Order: sequence, then structure tokens, then C-alpha cells
Amino acid sequence: MESASRQAASSIEPKLLTRVVKGDPQAFGQLYDQSSTLLFTLAYRILSDREEAAELLQEVYLEVWRKIAKYDPGRGTPIAWLVTLTRSRAIDRLRSRASRGQQLLPASLEHPLVSQTPDVSPNPYEAQEDSELRQTMAKAILELPLPQQQAIEMAFYQGLTHTEIAAKLNQPLGTVKTRIKLAMTKLRAALHHTLPQGEGL
Amino acid sequence: MTHEELEEAIPLYAVGALERSERQAIEAHLLSGCGACHAALKEYQTVASHLPFGLTPATPPNTLKAKIMSAPAPLAGTADVEKPGSRSSLEPGEWMNHLFPPIAPARSWPFRFAMGFAGLAIVLGGGYLAWLSFTQSAERSGEIQQLQAAVQQATARVATLQADAQRREQAVGTLKSELDQRATELADVRDQLIQREAELDDVRAQLTQRESSLQRLARQNEEFSGFFKNPASKVVSLSGSEMAKSAGAFILFDPVTKKAWLYAFNLPALPNGKVYQLWAIDEKPVSAGVFGLDTGQKGRMLIRNLHEFSRMKKFAVTVEPDGGVPQPTGAIYLVGQI
Repeated sequence: MESASRQAASSIEPKLLTRVVKGDPQAFGQLYDQSSTLLFTLAYRILSDREEAAELLQEVYLEVWRKIAKYDPGRGTPIAWLVTLTRSRAIDRLRSRASRGQQLLPASLEHPLVSQTPDVSPNPYEAQEDSELRQTMAKAILELPLPQQQAIEMAFYQGLTHTEIAAKLNQPLGTVKTRIKLAMTKLRAALHHTLPQGEGL
Repeated sequence: MTHEELEEAIPLYAVGALERSERQAIEAHLLSGCGACHAALKEYQTVASHLPFGLTPATPPNTLKAKIMSAPAPLAGTADVEKPGSRSSLEPGEWMNHLFPPIAPARSWPFRFAMGFAGLAIVLGGGYLAWLSFTQSAERSGEIQQLQAAVQQATARVATLQADAQRREQAVGTLKSELDQRATELADVRDQLIQREAELDDVRAQLTQRESSLQRLARQNEEFSGFFKNPASKVVSLSGSEMAKSAGAFILFDPVTKKAWLYAFNLPALPNGKVYQLWAIDEKPVSAGVFGLDTGQKGRMLIRNLHEFSRMKKFAVTVEPDGGVPQPTGAIYLVGQI
């Protein structure tokens, strides 16, 4: 299993998904090995609760198992699909927490100006591609001006719309939109050379 | 939104920062087949999905994989899994649904029942197959496969029926809400109609009243003008006494018809229970009728039969109790000699 875990999350082959569609449990296990750390990291970042993140991941993989036949490689990479699904479900949980009157954000994020500092040190258990991508991404995020990091963070990890972000920060809507656009454009430029050909980047 | 605005909103769409209406506008635009926006979305979507790579990795619990792997795998042919090769790609817009899944509508009891029935059918089908494989010889495997195919077909049919039922439920829901709206509008219109009818009745009553008073006035005018048309008509003018110095009146008499017309003005308002009474005086006063005042402090009275006008010496008006009296008792307000 260790060799499988060293395969990159960023380079899950669409073929692997085809095997999962056919009901191949080994392929499903490999999909888990390649993607679970990234998806758990994301779920934990959004929910700030390891137990809830694990519960969410269990649901997400079961949903993947059920819906995988619907995956269309023409619309994005397998990891983009998995990340999108996980984020979406985690944000749903966050909102349902809010609707139950529970605390929406973990204490560490009550000061949205403070972004979690990305860890750029190499990880021996991480696949080479993922390690490179992680370092590129972390560097690119750190190079963004703090208000842009904050806007991206509030949209992506807190599930807030630009209107909600503007209201929370007491900033004009146009400023918030521009911050998000600029941040995304810079990140896109930073990722340009790390992505495989044909990705359009 | 213009194309430029839509294009500019794509990074915000990818990171999930748009409002619902803006998302819908972009999705509608993407469905229209804009290649440039599709390409841009794919790029920004990839950027967004790479954001978690910037986080410090957190390792999931060791037991998680075993839990997930031990969960029963869905059978091939369940509602979400399609037959391989039947459709290789998503319908337009489904990718967007994956990105921002719509909130699932509450399923009705019949729908849940259908779901339960489908599940039961699958379980029973599976059980039947297991029983067959246990009891029948290997020669029956062809038959088993046929039954498996039949189960799959039945499952697919159930899924189609479920989708159809859901569509119908939605359609019925839409129709019902439209019907409710129409009923409310109709009730409003009915209320307005009743109100208009009531107003119309009021106006009609007022018109009738006006009409009859107009007719009365017209009749009076006609009679009044008749006195002037007749050259033999005689006029007596009455002037105010000490009681009503500014008051005055005149009496027109038609000797042919014996009708007389009194027109009085500037008389003081009458107290309750009192009337003005006209007296024709020869040797002694004879009542010629009683009258009140209209809103302009004017009095009008038609005397239908005034005999022996030529013998009369004077006319006077006194204030008397309601209905009049045989002989004058009150003060004189108007008096005139012939």
C-alpha cells in the first residue's frame, strides 16, 4: 500500500476511475490512497474537526463510489472532481451547523486576515509531483497580498459569496471581486508550468 | 450580464464566490456553448481544486480506509450507476451541478415508497439469484446471467419510473402553486367587483334622487314661468316687518287658473316645530297655506286655488306652529297691500 500512497493525488489517471466504475475494489482502494490525504486535509481545513472531517470523507467516498460513472474527463481532472465534491459537501455541513445555530467558524479563523501558514517542507511519504505542486502552490499563496489571500480563503474554505465577504470585511463589493480575480489570475500564472499539457494552463 | 462581465466572473465562479443568480447566469451562458468561457472555467476550476495543495497536509485516521472499504459496494445498475457505454459523458450542466449541487427536494411518501420498493426488488432479485446459484448446477449459469440481466433491466426501468414520477411531482407542484395564485387573484377581483357594484348602487340612488328633484324643479319652473306668460297675471309684493327688515316676497296670481305663487326671500330661519303661514286678508285673515325655507333662506309655495283675489286687501306672513293654525297667533314677518 505504501507504493500506492506515493502515487500523486494530482495525477490520478482517468483510467483508474474507469476501473472503479467497473466495480474493481482494488482500484477503489488505490483511488483512496492517492486522494485521501488531500481530501482529508481539505475537509479538516473547512470543518476544523478531525472526527467530522473523517465522517465527511467516508460519505464523500461512498458518494464517489456511487457517482463515479458520471465523471466526465472532458470537464476536468479526477482530482478536480474529487476536491470539488469534498469542498461542496464540507461547506454544506458548515452551513447546516450555522443553521443549527452552532459556531460557524472555528476559533482560529475568527480573524480572517490570518491565513494558515502553508507547510513548504518536503514530506518523504508524499509523491514527487504532489510535493512539487504543494511547494509551488504554497509559494504562490504566500506571494499574494494578504487581502487577496483572505478573500480567496473566505470564498473557498468558508463558502462565503463575494457579497458576504464584502459585508464581513466592510469593504466595497467591487474591491472584493477584484481581489478574488487578481488572486486567481496570479495563482493560475504560478501553476502554469506545473500542469500537464492539454490542461489548458 | 454582458459577455465581458460573464468572462470576468468565471474566476469567482470557480472559487465558489458568486451569488446564486450570478451562478445561474454563467451556467446558462456555458450551456449556450461558449468555448472561450468553457476553457477559462476549466483552467480556473483546476486552479481552485489545487488550492488545498497549499495547506499543511493532515493525515486521515488509519481506520478510515478499512471503514470505507468495508461498506457495501453499490451493485452495478443502481440508480446512479449507468451501464458502461450507454453514455460516455455528462449532459450539459451536470458538471455545474457537481460543482454546486442543488439542494435535493423533499421526496414525497409515494416517492420514498417507490425507492423502498426498488430496494426491495433488488434485494429479492439478489436473494433469488443466490438461491439459484446454491441449489442449481453450474449448467444453470446461463440462466442466472439472463436473470441478472433481467434484474438490471428492471432496476433501470424502476430508475426511469422514479425520475418520471419525480418530474410529474414537480409539475403537479408547479401547477398547484399557479392554481393557488389564480384563485387568490380571482378572489381579489371578486372583492373589487362587489365593491364596485356597491359604489354603482350608491351612484344610481344619488342619480335617481337628483333626477326627481330636477323634475320637481322643472315642474315648479314651468308653473312659475306660466304666470309670466299670462298678461292678466297680477303681482303683490310683500316687505319685511320689524321682525325681518331685509326680508321680502311677492305673490303672482293667475286669474284664469286661480293659482298663485309665493316667492319669499331673506326670511330668518325657523325654530323647530314652526312654519311660516300666508294669510289672505279681506275682512278677516284666511289661511292660504304654510311653507318652510330651503337652504338659501328662500320660501316657495304654490297656492292652487286662491278665490276672490280681487276682494283681498292685503297679504301677510306670520310664524305659526307646525301644520298651521285657523287664525294668526304669531308675529307678522311680511306684509303687503294690494
